[in-house]
Amino acid sequence: MTEPRGGRPRQEPVLDGARSVSTSASAAASAAAADCVAAKDTTAAGASTSVRASSGAAGSALAEASASAGGSSRAAVAAPRAGADPVKVLMRRHRDLCEHAVDPLEIAAGLEAHGVTDRTAARFRHRDVFSLAEEMYARIARDTETAPYPRPADEPRTGLVPFLLALLPGALCAAGLAGLRLTEGRTRLTVAAAAVLAVALAVRAVLRRGPLATGVRRPSGDRAPGARPPGTRAWTYWLVGYAALGDGLLDAAVGGGPDGLPDGTATGPWPLAAAPVLALALACAPAVLTAHLFAVRARRRLTASRGLDEFAASVRPLLLGLFALFLGALAALLAGCGAVLHEPAGQAQVLALGALLLLARLLTVHGFTHAPAVALGTAAAAEATAQASVFAGRLPGCDALAVPVDTVVTAWGPGGVPALACGAAALALLVHATRNLSRASAHARTEGQR
Amino acid sequence: MRVGLVTESGYPYVSGDAGLWCERLVHGLGQHEFDLYALSRTRQQEDEGWRPLPPQVARVRTAPLWTSDEDRAGYGRRARRRFAECYGELAAALVTASNAQLADPARRTGRDTQADRFARALYGLAELARDEGGLPGALRSDTAVRALERACRAPGAQRAARQARVPDLLAVAAHLERALRPLSLDWHEEDGLGAADLCHTAAGGTTALPGLLARHFCDIPLLVTEHGVPLRSHYLASGTTGAAPAVRALLAAFHGALAAEVYQRAALVTHGNAHARRWQERCGADRARLRTVHPGMDAAPFTEVGEAPQTADPDTLVWVGRVEPAKDLVSLLHAFAQVHTALPHARLRIVGSATGPDGAAYLAHCKAVAAQLFPDEATGPHTAGENPVSFEETGGPEAPTPADAYAAGSVIVLSSVVEGFPLGLVEAMLCGRATVSTDVGAVVEVVGGTGLVVPPRNPRALAQACATLLADPERRARLGAAARARALELFTVEQNVAAFHGLYLEIVAQSPVRRVVLDRAGEPLPFAAPAEAHVAGHWTGAPAATPRAARGGPAWAATSLAGAAGAGTEAAR
Repeated sequence: MTEPRGGRPRQEPVLDGARSVSTSASAAASAAAADCVAAKDTTAAGASTSVRASSGAAGSALAEASASAGGSSRAAVAAPRAGADPVKVLMRRHRDLCEHAVDPLEIAAGLEAHGVTDRTAARFRHRDVFSLAEEMYARIARDTETAPYPRPADEPRTGLVPFLLALLPGALCAAGLAGLRLTEGRTRLTVAAAAVLAVALAVRAVLRRGPLATGVRRPSGDRAPGARPPGTRAWTYWLVGYAALGDGLLDAAVGGGPDGLPDGTATGPWPLAAAPVLALALACAPAVLTAHLFAVRARRRLTASRGLDEFAASVRPLLLGLFALFLGALAALLAGCGAVLHEPAGQAQVLALGALLLLARLLTVHGFTHAPAVALGTAAAAEATAQASVFAGRLPGCDALAVPVDTVVTAWGPGGVPALACGAAALALLVHATRNLSRASAHARTEGQR
Repeated sequence: MRVGLVTESGYPYVSGDAGLWCERLVHGLGQHEFDLYALSRTRQQEDEGWRPLPPQVARVRTAPLWTSDEDRAGYGRRARRRFAECYGELAAALVTASNAQLADPARRTGRDTQADRFARALYGLAELARDEGGLPGALRSDTAVRALERACRAPGAQRAARQARVPDLLAVAAHLERALRPLSLDWHEEDGLGAADLCHTAAGGTTALPGLLARHFCDIPLLVTEHGVPLRSHYLASGTTGAAPAVRALLAAFHGALAAEVYQRAALVTHGNAHARRWQERCGADRARLRTVHPGMDAAPFTEVGEAPQTADPDTLVWVGRVEPAKDLVSLLHAFAQVHTALPHARLRIVGSATGPDGAAYLAHCKAVAAQLFPDEATGPHTAGENPVSFEETGGPEAPTPADAYAAGSVIVLSSVVEGFPLGLVEAMLCGRATVSTDVGAVVEVVGGTGLVVPPRNPRALAQACATLLADPERRARLGAAARARALELFTVEQNVAAFHGLYLEIVAQSPVRRVVLDRAGEPLPFAAPAEAHVAGHWTGAPAATPRAARGGPAWAATSLAGAAGAGTEAAR
């Protein structure tokens, strides 16, 4: 029988008894002796602690204790049992562990968790678990080509609820507009206020859950509030409000008006444009669909691509295609609304506004909150400035202030101002989005939401 | 002496799992002044508040690890370049590193350059966080992911890293961001850990990062106490997640490199048993700076039982613990079957409750095995059947406390196949009972020569050992007395606290913090920080702040610890 490395006694697999190291001395003396043994144990790292059989003979315990403490060699009975290659048996038993290990220490940790100790390792003629693990690691037949790539966890199922919810703002808005048409006077005011409130709440619900929601889902289920620069919501309200009332006001202002407050009709002194608002409310549904498709497709490309550049190259056309799809849907909705409401639908400005809002939301969902806030704020400020400059132009000596807006209105009508403002902002956001949303790190958060 | 104690998910939180020894340490060392720096793991933990604090705790600063600002506002050009350099170096160190070389002296030279790169990158990131802030956002940014990709595709990267795909890179970046969150804390500055004489971290790994930074920036000596080995825990945890090989390889390299850096910078590293010591040595710790400090147990509940060994039932074996498959109760039952054949009066009491579905299933299985091995035996036709094996719940009517459970038996058995530091065995020793245990984990180290040790998964050896002890009351008494004496000497709270006190003094004596005080002209002022300042206790007068112990944490701290809250931490809001 060959002695293992370091000349340590070899331990047989099955021991037929137990060893006592106690002495008949007083407890204190015994404890001191025990300390001595323990100190030996810690320094010799488990080499001298193997258990010997003594057939229960308590009388020989003292002699054995001294032998053990001295670490001298003992007669070791060899009984090779596991064949010529015991390590192979061990590897077969822990095959999963060996195949998945990335380094020997991982095997060592796994073996220890299964109860393999240095004493066990000595049976495999190794000094400790670490060197046993190194041998096992070195002997794994690794064929990397066939190693299956672990499939990513299933995509989170987005229920039907967000998509049904996305229809709510459009429905509420249509109901509100019908109410406006059917009522008069104070009742109409009440109906208008109620409709605005209902649509706002519905949009809020759409933005709270589903593909357009922000924030990281915590394991506990609640969503932490995502970072939201103040004002994004206010700017959005302003822009939508302008789409409804701004053009009418600008038109009236350029012509010297307005001569009264809006009365909820398209024919009053300050006409209300209902079609853009209805189209935008209805566009919540395509927006949710677009965001959902983008998230799902991007995640699929993320798992499929090997490099960051490859991913970026595959996501960019996806983003642009989905964006074009949304614009098409919005244009169709707009045309339909104009036909139903018998209104001349100002196409360009509403399309620009819709694009701006969608891009801003997409960026916010993916964690980029700064750029959308700036873009929305700039567009809103540009519109406000245009209005203000027309009124400022009425002041004596300030005629020049109204000239730019007058020129735009004469060239493209009152819709030219929001079209320019929102269009420019949307274009800037589009450039920003194609750069940032094609980065893998933008999709890391959605990965983490699982 | 002023000690900065860094804890993670433990003291002073009520629900801290590792808080007990820290609490005993702080309570036991009233002559020192403690600053607590606590990292919390969950919001729930933070909401539950703190334990009562003794007066020697001068201040408490806490920081959440479970959240980070969602801000994506990027760096400027120069800061971004600096970040990309540091992160690229970190990534390069990880993809070329291998944990197999951590402790190999033959390959040390090559390893050293790796370690240097890692350390340089780590401190570079910390400096960046100190100068510019916003590190969490940068660690999640595209710059970081690109740096990782470049490192993985570079020549010389290990094979697993070369196969990394985009989701793997994102996973690694996300994990690194979480692990490196302590870098963003300002604890290591002059008014924080920088003002302490010694930084003691209650765990290794990422918890030791504040201590590492204090060591790097302010040269504060670092004492690291590890009860578990963070690298080993990482391996065990990562094995179950099903992550891709590239992710596991890179993260294992990160944790290995971090452990090596901690061990290299620490003045002393302590561990609870020889098993942890071997891992520490394996991860590159210097033997000369390793110290064993055994965990301390409160001996008081066991004194009464320990002083009255005659109360034990001479024929009863007792097993106490949490029922789970690793305890191998089936072996114990089979062993007891043999004991029962030899000694018909012998009885076995299994005291313990199962936790979790696995434990419950195992307990049911054990009961079935026991019922098969030992059918109820009635002595006459009209007497009730008796079973030599009984299963009891912890805290049940028969044994309301652990001490009562141990008191009932004359021999305590431990039959585990896997064990860390067997606290139950220490309790049995404190009760003055002879023990028979399997040779797993730190059992041999704990029991020394005061009990019988048999190989695991070997019912015959276990049975023979038990039978020998049951048949020999004199030897039982001898072993029990020796066990109690050994436990009282090695495994008590007092021993634990005294050991740490000694380590504190040793560290401060060997590597005192040299603070240079400048006068108004900017010249160093000699003798401004006298050596006597390191004398234990408050020799200059009353302690500056004596916070009143109270429950309720944050709300309370705002009033009584005015000024303790630093910028950037969540303390005392």
